[in-house]
Amino acid sequence: MTDFIAIAVVGLGTYLGRSVFILALANRRIPDTVMVALQFVAPAVLAALIVALLTDGDGNVGIGAPEVAAFVVGGGVAAKTRNHVYTLFAGMAVYWIVRAVF
Amino acid sequence: MSVDRTIIKRAIVDALPLYVPAVPFALVIGLAVVEAGMNPFVGWSSSWLIFGGAAQLTVISLLGSGVAVVAAITAALVVNARHVMYSAALAPKFQSQPRWMRWFGPYLLIDQLFALVSLRLDDDPKVWRQYYLAAGFTFWTLWMFTTAVGLVIGPIIPEEWNLGFAVPILFIGLIVVGIDKSSKLVAALVGAGVTYLAAGMPSRSGLLVGAVVGILAGTVAERLRR
Repeated sequence: MTDFIAIAVVGLGTYLGRSVFILALANRRIPDTVMVALQFVAPAVLAALIVALLTDGDGNVGIGAPEVAAFVVGGGVAAKTRNHVYTLFAGMAVYWIVRAVF
Repeated sequence: MSVDRTIIKRAIVDALPLYVPAVPFALVIGLAVVEAGMNPFVGWSSSWLIFGGAAQLTVISLLGSGVAVVAAITAALVVNARHVMYSAALAPKFQSQPRWMRWFGPYLLIDQLFALVSLRLDDDPKVWRQYYLAAGFTFWTLWMFTTAVGLVIGPIIPEEWNLGFAVPILFIGLIVVGIDKSSKLVAALVGAGVTYLAAGMPSRSGLLVGAVVGILAGTVAERLRR
């Protein structure tokens, strides 16, 4: 039940974010400083999330050779192809290989 | 309202190729639900309640990893904060739409739809609306279906494969594809670095600290760049 409520709250918040200017503030402009800050939300949050997802319950960050190798190769493939399918396959393949070797 | 078939067809043809990059996200959401030990229907509900892959993955994987519920919700909302920009950019075009469209349209407003409809701002309001709804429903229908497929194949995949690691890999891909200037790289590196240093904070609140400091660092770097 907690899971469902959490998801519903995120859903509501997401809708509010998508609709706020369309429904309520059509004639307002977003202040320039906010516009500048908004473009850094995605890179900053996604990068922070990666670290958070690799952190265990005791606050230890589990980043070893397999993870680093996968990030480097996955990131390289993403930069070169801009294709998430290739990125996923390359990153996971390297992760499994390095994990098997070490 | 008479429906213009050529517009509808055009919208679907435009939407399909843009959906391809979303497929791995849809499948990994299914895996994340399984890995989080979440009720599959509840997990899948995120597809129609949230309708946004990165935020769905964020809230599902964080809830599964024992993060405080409030932190999981906040992180997912911050991930979706970029939609405010889309809302602001399309607000003028929406003013010529009927009330029901102004209420319903934003529900469908994902990255790909924004990319498509912002290219057609000169369309007549009715044409634009039909294009918007047709493309939006194409994405929506595919998303409901592929996330359900992810839930079905999720439990079949052996745990030793550790496919949960697909989530950070996909996020790396999103970051790399989105970085078009040095200040965004600064935001990502500082966001990750501060979260790492703050990893010991209670209930994983380090994530939010890292995100906020990363956004500030990007803003400062942008100022210095100009």
